[in-house]
Amino acid sequence: MKYLTYILRNVRRNPVRSLLTIASTSICLFLMMILVSFFAISDEVNASTRIYNRIATLNANGFAGMIPIAYVKGVAQLDGVLATTPFSWYGGKYQDEILPFAQFGVDPETVFTIMSELSIPPSQLKEFQQTKDGCVIGRKLAADKKLKVGGSLPLKGDAYPVGLDLKICGIYDGPSDRDLRMCLFNWEYLDERVKQVAFGAGSAFTPANARRSGNAAMIFTKCKSADAMPVMCKKIDDLYRNSDFPTRTQTEEAFGKMFEEMLGDLKGMIRAIGMAVVFSLLCVAGNAMAMSMRERTSEVALLKAIGFSKGLVLLLVMIESVLVAGLGGALGSLGARGCSRSSTSRSTQPGSSRFSMSHGTSRSRGCSSRSRSALSAASFRRCERRTCRSSTD
Amino acid sequence: MIPLKYNVRNLRVRWKTTLMTVLGTGLVVWSSCILFGLVDGLEHSLAVSGDPLDLIVMRKGSSNETTGGFETAKADELLTLPGIARDYSGRPLAAKELLNIPIAQRENGTRTNIIVRGVQPASRQLRPDFRIIEGNDLVEGRAECIVSKSMSKRFKGAQVGGVLNFGDKEIYRVVGIFTAGGSAAESEVWADLKDVERSTGREGSVSCVQLRAAGPKDYDSLRNTIEDDTRFKLAAVPESVYFLNQSRSSIFLKGAGTLIAVLLTFGAMFSAANTMFAAVSARTREIGTMRALGFSQLHILISFLGESLILCGLGGAAGLLATIPLNALTYETSDFNSFASMTVAFRFGPLVLAVALMMTLAMGLFGGMLPALRAVRLDVISALREL
Repeated sequence: MKYLTYILRNVRRNPVRSLLTIASTSICLFLMMILVSFFAISDEVNASTRIYNRIATLNANGFAGMIPIAYVKGVAQLDGVLATTPFSWYGGKYQDEILPFAQFGVDPETVFTIMSELSIPPSQLKEFQQTKDGCVIGRKLAADKKLKVGGSLPLKGDAYPVGLDLKICGIYDGPSDRDLRMCLFNWEYLDERVKQVAFGAGSAFTPANARRSGNAAMIFTKCKSADAMPVMCKKIDDLYRNSDFPTRTQTEEAFGKMFEEMLGDLKGMIRAIGMAVVFSLLCVAGNAMAMSMRERTSEVALLKAIGFSKGLVLLLVMIESVLVAGLGGALGSLGARGCSRSSTSRSTQPGSSRFSMSHGTSRSRGCSSRSRSALSAASFRRCERRTCRSSTD
Repeated sequence: MIPLKYNVRNLRVRWKTTLMTVLGTGLVVWSSCILFGLVDGLEHSLAVSGDPLDLIVMRKGSSNETTGGFETAKADELLTLPGIARDYSGRPLAAKELLNIPIAQRENGTRTNIIVRGVQPASRQLRPDFRIIEGNDLVEGRAECIVSKSMSKRFKGAQVGGVLNFGDKEIYRVVGIFTAGGSAAESEVWADLKDVERSTGREGSVSCVQLRAAGPKDYDSLRNTIEDDTRFKLAAVPESVYFLNQSRSSIFLKGAGTLIAVLLTFGAMFSAANTMFAAVSARTREIGTMRALGFSQLHILISFLGESLILCGLGGAAGLLATIPLNALTYETSDFNSFASMTVAFRFGPLVLAVALMMTLAMGLFGGMLPALRAVRLDVISALREL
């Protein structure tokens, strides 16, 4: 610690150079942390859903397939099931905005039992359950679009050939890492509307499976315990394996992971760019360190003359380099954290909306500081050899 | 004017520093070029997909083929409308198509949705430059399918002779590989319309009808008929408009790419500035000498700016060259419009070049400005006396 003053003085020796290095490091690390944490979010959010013991049932052939609404009752009667609800994605337009927020047709009686981390005032929940065309929206959605309880929410059909005129009965809230921008309405209301179109037009209309009436699209089930989950998944799939609409059931975590897998090559590419950025920083900071060491060769010689060992001098240089790099990294991570706080209020991704800084920060900062010091140590060795040779003159 | 040779020689003498700076800026330019190359690839594939006389007919109000279905009866009537272009043997260039989105497995085991398009013979001519490059085209009614080249490299079973199994009723044999001019069709698996109808149980409906008008006048009359005639009341979307709307997915990538490029430029700018500051402080005597010889302050400024530009230019060129081998790169991710896989090819075109050039200029000019100004403000006498 007694050398700290000396090290700090060295850093301040050429303030412009140090500032530029710190600025360069912080900007690039800020960028890299945002990129890396982008994927760390979804991993974390997915893992956090494990505690809710929920499983999702889809048609075995994918999102375009149908799940008859009768299956919901069938699953509810199984042993080990706490509650079930259909979860039919509507995909409507709000004020001509395509895909503004997620809208799902659910069973108002059971949905909040299943999504137990979401809370809603009991009076509003009762209103939702009693109003055929009612809906509840998330707190963040209400804030974004300035919607209030009692207001109306007209949705134009996009994926479905029918529009919905919903009345806002309540606003739900929940922990910040859950999707607080959903609109949940009564599945039966959608079903009725779809039936009207099919029979009202008079023509022999057989729309695509998924847009038929009676389609629950997905069944969301809460199991009684965590151990029951894999058993339930198999039970449900076995039950409907030989029917016209075979199912595939997986835990909520695996379901979320499926969305992540859809990203495909994008993930690898972003990681590669992050690596390139860190390597570039290596060159930048190493360069700066090498330049300053080149100017200090006589000073190093002096230090060795008065008795500092090689190892100690090396250590001093490394600490200086780590300090500069660390400052840049700290600034970068603070910036990234601040950026993520402000962006969570505007994120529209279903399900995941918080950046997790813990992973990215320590890992990237650690490895880049270490690599930087390694590089400056290497350049220092070169200078050292030169001074050794010169000091013997 | 101070000859450029001076700057070049200086860069050569301090070659270690030059190399490090070039590496730093080069990597930065390389990363940004990759992103923009992918954005360009995506936009190019969408632009190429839209023929000016082509119309995509979907249900009114729908924004995507996958959800825009309507009755087969209407579709059959559409195919008989006057004004549709005909091919060399007199058949109308119009086809009913049915889309399905099953789950498929990639070679590495992860899953994603892919588009299986049930087509009719005319569908091929409605895509730009459709070609079978391996195997044969599918024969109707035999549960055969053809896949695009990029899909054959990425998905399990998607090679000639392989089998795509999407469920007990949906099994297709892959008989050929096609390319379609880099258009959006290259993210799809094509099968016979009747086979898809049967395997998904959707005999009474189609997802869309693709047709080409015989000429501009027929184009307008067809659009009016389809949209207003009581028989139809459907949406006839010009193909180019349709794909323009789909390019919403490129906006995210473009935004991310721009943000990354700007931030990286700043980062590299500081590194170039660092190098130039060191250069200036090491050469104070030379600068004093040049001033004494009669070069004006402006000359010194231009000289050092020039050196900074050369330095960054070398980095930019290195980064740009490093992206050339990536020209064959394709990446596969999800298009959140259709919720299915899409493959984009990297495109080394004017956009990438422009990005590299702009970044280099910005880094060179803004990075080198302050050091050059410092060089300019040196007092001649004290500069000459520097050690």
